[in-house]
Amino acid sequence: MGVLRAALCPGLTQEMVQLLRSRGIKTVVDLVSADLEEVAQKCGLSYKALVAVRRVLLAQFSAFPFNGADVYEELKTSTAILSTGMERLDKLLDTGLYTGEVTEFVGSPGSGKTQVCLCVAANVAHSLQQNVLYIDSSGGITASRLLQLLQARTQDEEEQAGALRRIQVVHAFDIFRMLDVLQDLRGTVAQQVISSSGTMKVVVVDSVTAVVSPLLGGQQREGLALMMQLARELKTLARELGVAVVPTGIQEMIDIGIWGTSEERPVLEGDQT
Amino acid sequence: MQRDLGSFPLSPAVRVKLVSAGFQTAEELLEVKPSELSKEIRISKEEALETLQIIRRDCLTNIPRYAGTSESGKKCTALELLEQEHTQGFIITFCSALDNILGGGIPLTKTTEICGAPGVGKTQLCMQLAVDVQIPECFGGVAGEAVFIDTEGSFMIDRVVDLATACIQHLHLITGTHMEEEHQKALEDFTLENILSHIYYFRCRDCTELLAQVYLLPDFLSEHSKVRLVIVDGIAFPFRHDLDDLSLRTRLLNGLAQQMISLANNHRLAVILTNQMTTKIDKNQASLIPALGESWGHAATIRIIFHWDQKQRTCVVCTYVSSKVILKGTLKIFLLIFVTVTVFEHSKNLKFYFLTTVFLRREPMLVHFFASCTLRPKYLLKHRYGNFFYMLL
Repeated sequence: MGVLRAALCPGLTQEMVQLLRSRGIKTVVDLVSADLEEVAQKCGLSYKALVAVRRVLLAQFSAFPFNGADVYEELKTSTAILSTGMERLDKLLDTGLYTGEVTEFVGSPGSGKTQVCLCVAANVAHSLQQNVLYIDSSGGITASRLLQLLQARTQDEEEQAGALRRIQVVHAFDIFRMLDVLQDLRGTVAQQVISSSGTMKVVVVDSVTAVVSPLLGGQQREGLALMMQLARELKTLARELGVAVVPTGIQEMIDIGIWGTSEERPVLEGDQT
Repeated sequence: MQRDLGSFPLSPAVRVKLVSAGFQTAEELLEVKPSELSKEIRISKEEALETLQIIRRDCLTNIPRYAGTSESGKKCTALELLEQEHTQGFIITFCSALDNILGGGIPLTKTTEICGAPGVGKTQLCMQLAVDVQIPECFGGVAGEAVFIDTEGSFMIDRVVDLATACIQHLHLITGTHMEEEHQKALEDFTLENILSHIYYFRCRDCTELLAQVYLLPDFLSEHSKVRLVIVDGIAFPFRHDLDDLSLRTRLLNGLAQQMISLANNHRLAVILTNQMTTKIDKNQASLIPALGESWGHAATIRIIFHWDQKQRTCVVCTYVSSKVILKGTLKIFLLIFVTVTVFEHSKNLKFYFLTTVFLRREPMLVHFFASCTLRPKYLLKHRYGNFFYMLL
């Protein structure tokens, strides 16, 4: 994981780090997976010290195992189900969008994905009184349409204004900008106490393919890596912050180059609940 | 910040060196000095400094952003967005029916794609818009300048002169009845020379020139801040002729689309792209669809398709979300409405097909706006329902 540094754990001094580095052990993973007797011999360090350091590092960096019952209990208490505002869609999604999960809407041009996203945002902001973050990458959001959806739910202008205030809109037209936005979100939610108008419960990303498709295909491999980065960010966001993430994509068969034969062209689809 | 180094826009060589030295997240690089970093991973000091700047600028979220960052960095609530939209103008097309469907005209901060068969009038519309964007604010225009990027060589300056002269005469006729000082002053500036000097014309002969021009546009636009319209006349032409590799074409087009919408958003202007039509042969039926493939269909925010119907031009608007266009209704059944408005070239009305399906539940209704792309309603119905039910199933 991390690079070995002197202050990482109590037993690790600067000379130890230098000696280890000269033998090719630069990261925590290298140290933990190395054969300590050999290392002790080659670097001239005490075996006991190395074992102690390894134990501390493992305790610090390894993931803590949960048992299934605890996970289930935690899920039951922390997951919320958010209605989308459309009965049929709720029934399809098993009563609604689950927080902690990524739900992707896919469809061809003009099929209504942005409409669904706007409807979800309006419903969550108004009926459930929760904050929504709408990340727009294709210019499809129009606030007047949101207002119209809200006007259908309530005639009270104060309520409409309140609901509109709960929907935050960010424009992110390339992938690095989108990753920045997601990272900022993690940072601000981690620092902030629950704000007066409710917590952030839904993150809508419209659309994911617009930022990813310029990168995929051809000889470049970085595109796939960036796509996986984005997917991982979204999933981590969903899981850690307990929000429902809703990206939209287009349905298309794309050719990612020499990575697949012509029969197995992968379809650009993300996670599906 | 536990942010992976792969998510920063670093050069691949630097990234490979960082990873092989054991750095994986941005956190680990926060305390490292540039000289240390350059020694450790063996890159030049300038590269190390640049790398650290990129990583640190994105990590320090507590420090307020510099004034130089683009507007896309700012978060705003939907209420503020609504207020912005209300104050934003539209670029009128002088065709009242077209303006009506679009909700007032071509909207700013969005990309509009105009598709049509050859000779239907796409370039004419573009030239008209290049003149209309300059209409002064007191007459309801946006008082901006225009950038015209021509790839097909179809820009005719004498036609623009005709359009500009007609526009000036039209405005003179309006002030003839009002006679306000503001209007008189504005009209003094609205002369033929001024109009023509505020249309910035670029000629791009192939795909590379077009991409380069679009790349250089942000700098041009920051010098000419009054530009409110960017027209690319013929975005299909260079891409259909020059590129054989289809996946490269898709990537370039998608990248271009994102650059365009980002320009539109950051500089508050409208972007117009003109597309050609191609034939799709499907189960022994041939139909005209916009060129450049289905992934390009998602690129523009609004898509307008022109057809010829005997001697009349018809227009269809697809994939556009406008509160003024969508019908409100509370019906208990699916209601299909076909509305036709006829266009005649001189009286400038518009023939318009759209297919609307309206759902109602006890709770608020959801209105779906589908537009037809062919003149065969039955085929279209199946096609659109197919799409919609795909979504529900």
